[in-house]
Amino acid sequence: MRSSRSLYLFAVPALILYGGFFLLPAAQGLRYATTDWDGYSPTFRNVGAANLTDVVTNDDLFRHALTNNLKFLLVVVLGQTALALLLAVLLAARSRGSTWLRALFFLPTILSSVSVAFIWKFVYDPNFGLANALLRAVGLGRFESSYLGNESTAILWVAVAQIWFHAGQMMVVYIAGINQIPDELYDAAKTDGAGRWQQFRHVTWPMVAPATTLVVAYTTLQSFKAFDLILGLAGNPPRSGLDVLATRIYSTFANSQLGYAAAESIVFMAAIALVTFLQNRAARTVHG
Amino acid sequence: MPYSRRRFLHLATGTGAAAFLAACAGPGGSSDPTSASGGPISFAHWRAEDKEVFEQIIKDSGLAVRQDISPSNDYQSTALQKIRGGTVGDAFTAFRGAQFLEIAKAGISTDLTSKALVQKYEPNLITAGAQDGKQLGLPYQLVFNTPLANRDLVTETPKDWDGFLALLETLKGKGLTPIAWPGGDAANAGQLLNVMVVNNAPADDTLGRIETGEAKVTDDWFLTVLKQYQQLAPYFQKGATGTGSDAALALFAQGKAGLLATGSFQVSGVRKLGATFPIDLLAPITTTADKARYEGVFNATFILGVNAKSSKQDAAQAWLDRLSDPAVAGVYANGTAQHVTVKGVEYTNPDLKALAPWLTKKTALAPRFQFSNLDVRGAVENAAVAVVGGKSPEEAAEAAQKVVDQKK
Repeated sequence: MRSSRSLYLFAVPALILYGGFFLLPAAQGLRYATTDWDGYSPTFRNVGAANLTDVVTNDDLFRHALTNNLKFLLVVVLGQTALALLLAVLLAARSRGSTWLRALFFLPTILSSVSVAFIWKFVYDPNFGLANALLRAVGLGRFESSYLGNESTAILWVAVAQIWFHAGQMMVVYIAGINQIPDELYDAAKTDGAGRWQQFRHVTWPMVAPATTLVVAYTTLQSFKAFDLILGLAGNPPRSGLDVLATRIYSTFANSQLGYAAAESIVFMAAIALVTFLQNRAARTVHG
Repeated sequence: MPYSRRRFLHLATGTGAAAFLAACAGPGGSSDPTSASGGPISFAHWRAEDKEVFEQIIKDSGLAVRQDISPSNDYQSTALQKIRGGTVGDAFTAFRGAQFLEIAKAGISTDLTSKALVQKYEPNLITAGAQDGKQLGLPYQLVFNTPLANRDLVTETPKDWDGFLALLETLKGKGLTPIAWPGGDAANAGQLLNVMVVNNAPADDTLGRIETGEAKVTDDWFLTVLKQYQQLAPYFQKGATGTGSDAALALFAQGKAGLLATGSFQVSGVRKLGATFPIDLLAPITTTADKARYEGVFNATFILGVNAKSSKQDAAQAWLDRLSDPAVAGVYANGTAQHVTVKGVEYTNPDLKALAPWLTKKTALAPRFQFSNLDVRGAVENAAVAVVGGKSPEEAAEAAQKVVDQKK
């Protein structure tokens, strides 16, 4: 009995690290959220729940950032998941060509966010950029845009860059899932006369459900935490059309309002928790 | 001695514990006095383009100085937190306005009032480095936040708003972009606001009063500013609100744009892109000629300071002494194509010589740096960008004022 108790000691180092690097800062964050601390002064005032109330009810910049983040999340989760699945289905077969193509589509993932931002800044530049040049080249010059300069659609263009950046990574997850599906299921489907679409709908899609859950959950977190790509594309601080929650918190911190930034972080965590909860519920409903 | 697994674990544990304790020492902990006073000092700044010139000055001086350079926007956001730790920025720089005020408030700036080097500067150009009667920093660069003009394309200098619009129309008629404006780059898009405000504002400090609530974005004078932005919109390059600083710079340097709506700090960048045309400054006069109070805008920035938290303050001050020497300041000025606030500097760079008349012209201190709250500044500047993007001036002003009311 004594020896089994001593086994708990093995958890102590991990608990110390968890407490020191997660619980303690989280508790400090909660404490700061109720103050007007600027981040460097030796004193501060307690303001109670005023920061949290302001963040939720009286802060247009935060509201814009939240709206942008939700738009970004929706487009990235749908676009990235769909593209990753499409690529995985097309490239799951083991051949030399598909191996090369997998490597090609995976390539953006290994680039740094700053490099990706530079690439897409060049693509989106209204005067020298690739996107407008392509439109002009194919006779669609009337659709030229200012992309990141358009307040209402700018965040969607960033979402496109994010999808390009990470779709290859999610493709790998799907390929692993598809390769786990027994060939017998496809053989049975073929015997029943199923075409390619029906095979996908009734065999592949249900069988990659665990991979989809993983991809959606990971992409959601990734979308909420998009920071360096946005700063790289939009500059610092980003305009309200490109501001998301992570960059808003950073701007508030840079504005020497650490207490208020801590309150924003709490609402940020709550938003992630809520979206994740809703996704889990939806996944359970869809997959049973 | 044989090494058992247990002995190896003891050794590893001991090494780990020592490393952990050493890490905990960090800033604020006790440190080895030889390492605290030895080694190069850190000079923190944001001018990556000046790195080589500084390296030359360091080499010539024989001082041990390491440059810690961050991009300007990152520097604006994070310098205070880095410098206050004392390990970076024994000597440091600050932007005029919000950042300098925050650094002063945090007690990081050493009082230089009684130091001899202060006498080497033009007194009227270093007021931006003073706070509560103390000279806490020394603005080093003298820049003109006034649009650059390609004098091969822009031969006249309009004296009023109507004349300015006529000039733009003429340039447009020639198939040129009248004004290259980096509307998609937050840091540089706001430079144009300086010259748009100085003659429209009822007083020199009115823009800053928006933050205190004594003035509003919806006031008539600021609506006039926004309406003038609306008039300028057709004369900016295509997709102006999405254009970055490099693209605007390239348009101007390639001779495709008559004006570049940033400032003299980009002259060296234009030259690096191969431009050979004569460069001048040209501010839009936003009123009638008789009501114009200023011909342009200047800023005294890149405020040098000595970190009060540093253990190498003497060495940091020696570095500032060196930079304050007129001959060394001349090396910096001519090497970077920027005027300086140090007295008695001889400008040999052709662009600096060409812009020298601006040193005596009637120019206003750049008003956008009157803001101490970056969210408020962003809201006001973004109102102008929104108008160029198609929003009505009234709508843009109301949206900005709402943010100001929430954030001030």
